[in-house]
Amino acid sequence: MGSRSLPWKLPVLLLCTIVAVSLSATGCGKKTVNPSASVYKIGAVLSLSGPAAPLGQPEQNSLLMLEEQLNAGEGVNGHKVQFIIEDDQSNPANAAAAITKLINQEGVSAMIGSSSTGATLAMVPVAEAAKVTLVCCAAGTAITKPVKKYIFRTPPTDSMAIDKVLAYLKTNLKIKQIAILHDANAYGTGGATELAAKAPTAGIQVVANESYGSTDTDMTAQLTKIQQTPAQALVVWGTNPGPASIAKNMQQLAMKIPFIGSNGIANKTFITLAGTAANGVSFPGGRMLIPASIPTGTEWRNAVDKFTADYKAKYGKDADTFAAHGWDAGTILTTAMKTAGTDKTMIQSTVQATKGLVGIDGIYNYSATNHDGLTVSDLMMIQIQNGAWVQIK
Amino acid sequence: MSTNDSRQVRLLWGSVAVVAAIVVATLIDKGSIGLQLILSGLTVGSIYALVAMGFSVIYSTTRVINFAQGGFSMLGGMLMYTFSVQAHLPPWLGLILAVAIVTAFGAGFERAAINPLKDKSVITIIIITIGLSIFMTAVAKWIWGTDPVKIAAFTGEKPLRFLGASLVPQSLWVFGFTLLAVVLVFAFFNRTLLGKGMRAAADNPDAASLVGVSSSTSSLVAWTLAAGLGAAAGVVIAPINFAQYSAGTTLGLKGFSAAVLGGLGSAPGAVVGGLVLGVLETITASYLPSGYKDAVAFLILILVLLVRPQGLLGKPESVKV
Amino acid sequence: MEGQLTRQSETNWRTYRTLIIVAVFVFLVPVWARFIPGDVLHMDIVNIMVLAGVYACAVIGLNLLVGYGGQISLGHAAFFGVGAYTTAILCTRLHWFPSWLGIIAGAALAGVVGWLVGKPVLRLKGNYLAMATLGLGEIAFILFQQVKGLTGGTVGILDIPPLSVFGLKFDTDFKLFFVVWALVMVLMLLSINLVYSRVGRALRALHSSEVAADAMGVNTSRYKVQVFVLSAVFAGLGGALFAHFQKYINPESFTLALSILFITMVVVGGMGNIWGGLVGVVILTFLPSVIQALPQWIPGLPSGLSNFSNYELVLYGLLLIGFMIFLPKGVAYGLARAGGFTEMRARHLRDRIKARKIESH
Repeated sequence: MGSRSLPWKLPVLLLCTIVAVSLSATGCGKKTVNPSASVYKIGAVLSLSGPAAPLGQPEQNSLLMLEEQLNAGEGVNGHKVQFIIEDDQSNPANAAAAITKLINQEGVSAMIGSSSTGATLAMVPVAEAAKVTLVCCAAGTAITKPVKKYIFRTPPTDSMAIDKVLAYLKTNLKIKQIAILHDANAYGTGGATELAAKAPTAGIQVVANESYGSTDTDMTAQLTKIQQTPAQALVVWGTNPGPASIAKNMQQLAMKIPFIGSNGIANKTFITLAGTAANGVSFPGGRMLIPASIPTGTEWRNAVDKFTADYKAKYGKDADTFAAHGWDAGTILTTAMKTAGTDKTMIQSTVQATKGLVGIDGIYNYSATNHDGLTVSDLMMIQIQNGAWVQIK
Repeated sequence: MSTNDSRQVRLLWGSVAVVAAIVVATLIDKGSIGLQLILSGLTVGSIYALVAMGFSVIYSTTRVINFAQGGFSMLGGMLMYTFSVQAHLPPWLGLILAVAIVTAFGAGFERAAINPLKDKSVITIIIITIGLSIFMTAVAKWIWGTDPVKIAAFTGEKPLRFLGASLVPQSLWVFGFTLLAVVLVFAFFNRTLLGKGMRAAADNPDAASLVGVSSSTSSLVAWTLAAGLGAAAGVVIAPINFAQYSAGTTLGLKGFSAAVLGGLGSAPGAVVGGLVLGVLETITASYLPSGYKDAVAFLILILVLLVRPQGLLGKPESVKV
Repeated sequence: MEGQLTRQSETNWRTYRTLIIVAVFVFLVPVWARFIPGDVLHMDIVNIMVLAGVYACAVIGLNLLVGYGGQISLGHAAFFGVGAYTTAILCTRLHWFPSWLGIIAGAALAGVVGWLVGKPVLRLKGNYLAMATLGLGEIAFILFQQVKGLTGGTVGILDIPPLSVFGLKFDTDFKLFFVVWALVMVLMLLSINLVYSRVGRALRALHSSEVAADAMGVNTSRYKVQVFVLSAVFAGLGGALFAHFQKYINPESFTLALSILFITMVVVGGMGNIWGGLVGVVILTFLPSVIQALPQWIPGLPSGLSNFSNYELVLYGLLLIGFMIFLPKGVAYGLARAGGFTEMRARHLRDRIKARKIESH
């Protein structure tokens, strides 16, 4: 037998290598895309599917509307703007991969995202390493504590919502003992932990701290436990549909103590799901939910009125706070890019120097030590009466 | 009776005794709250039971575990929303349409993807049903979006109270439907020729085809029945659970554990398994942090598989050598 | 290949040769990926390949378990998670703890857990084993969520340091790519050796008929547990690498969906084929990005479709079903047939040329 003949696979491999090298030799392109001078690209990673989709979808709607409005007008300093939006499916791994792709492949100048805390936390190391400004729409405290140079946020933080709730309990309701019922996910657990830690300073004792699974539909077990405690109010920390099920369960068990929700139920879906059980429920929410709570004639009020009207006209739905988070994130970045262009370092310093920028959620002020933008006073307590939102003075 | 048989009988009565003891202890410890827990547990449990029955129907005739069973219920609920809320059709019409569409879909899938692959390995079929589950969830999200939707309860929301515990009227509908379903399914598989033939087809396909029931027919009927049953269950459950595109997975996992507990292949077993699981879960949630309540379902699943794989009411399976 | 008798050593040599070719090809990826512009490709290949590499560790092990050992596991994300949490906890709680040691610890602990659960559970077969492993995976997920003091609960563990080996820091995707895929090649080498060894033959006997293997004196339960533990170790290794790659983990990364993804990769790639795991990993890790990039490659897609997040999952489910219907033995089998077919034709051609040469003498 002679020597073994050359396997056919080797020539194929050589061919591939030759093709690859010649492609590069013809200068087919550079690794990173130079953002073309006439289009400003801003990347956005949002949760358009998965559990956080009710947050991401309105955020996407706002960004698309903002893009349309800006490009129909003078754009950003004469340049068109493009929001390149990716879905992270509420999954941190996908969020990290998406932001990597947007920065490396699509060559975006700045980033928005994500809708929920877990996905945002996965994106933070990537943004910091690439020195790209990231404005997030999530409320988790860990994102900006400690402050990271390139990470900013638009929504009022969970901490602010908690402070608002505690103030309401102490001053309006004059309650001394509460029970907490929270979603077992990161949002619910983080909120409950902070609530329990801060309650004693407000002179309130936490007599029960229960949790429920995000997909649970029956919380009577936890509620019956709570009924046996001297709790005078129940604070529920979670997003739909859990709190709606809880409201219905409470109605079924004829529990009379007040139900105070979190900013997670600041949407009409809660009222639709809970039906009559929603009446009497109160929660902290942005002032844009009841535009009448903002003084007429102010720039803020005019902005809110225009935004809600445009959103309703374009999408047929009422704008909620999540839509506001998205709109504000886009506004903050495009405003910064008016002076900074696509210079990533300048974008960061311009955003950080933002003062008095009128958004929908509120008026934004950033500084080197504060990347949260809004304060507690941008929130108010709202109560549901007869299926509608009423401001609690 | 061999020692293994008597051990199995002791296990069966032993587990019944343990469950009964837990229930009684809860009632004593918690009084009327205990009764509330039992009632809530039974409500949740009958939801599991309905899904479990769908698993049983398919498994008992084709030895296939259908990972998309929960998805049939989810689609039933979502379609009911479209017909009765969005299209304002009367509820009975909405129910019929929702069930009809899902049943047709289930039958179609069986013909297209399950029947051609019936000789393939267990794991290939598992992947196919997983693919179906992913597909159904994705289509539901595409059509209905991500928000949970509300469907009106059949007879209102006013809670019924007795002995210090309460129940929403829809729970009675769920109980009633579960009872109806188990009676019908049991009668079908034990009293009709087709049903008996289908059960036989699982163990001895050749003998069954001699009686006129081929394993191909058997598979088609099983899937059609499971899809219809699942869809109807979804419609009845939706007013309590809020239909949502992602509901299929959770329902599927719990229903599946219930089916194994009760005995895969036994409709009454599915009901027993579901009710026991629901009650045990609810009781656990009232004593331990409720995150562990989900662990109950899976611990029971593993325990049953290791100790008595045929579940409470199932028959032991012979493995072909 | 039909009708061809080859010596065992010749088959082995061919497999090692393929491994070398695959390794060369893989390590060239970052080179030629650099030269394709981002707005043509619309995906970060190196980043995706690192993820594919860490998943590959788990899938190679699972392929041995399923394809050669004949077992099923629908809970392998648990081992992946154990590996990830071990290294994450050690490296964030004890700031001096070196990450390379964390990875070894993660893989080892995953193996221990695999041994503890494998012994009782592997007595089950077929559907029952699938169900039991599913239950175990779910319990692991619940533990990751509930044991907050250790795992950070649903919030997870942040700021995991990047992989560093004796001062060399692998903090970019590019650097990590080489480490991860070098490890993958090592795992492949180990798998090939295992399959061709005595243990491998015992496994194949076990796969085709457990009763016959038992009758022949093969200690089936010991081999089943051994291959299960091995697959757990591989998965733990992958999970630990994952932790140092993403630098943030929470329980949502280790759900049933991941276990299902692993098993799907094995089946789509091809069970019973040594390359099945690798093929499956690459296909299924790239598939979402490819689907996502489709609207940008094919400009004419209607707008309802171009919001990919709607149709991507629909397509994924359909493709899964389609793969099973049309390629039930997996893609690697299809590739091998194509390759074998081509090689057979080439051989025939050579033989005919040789025969003609002899004749013309």
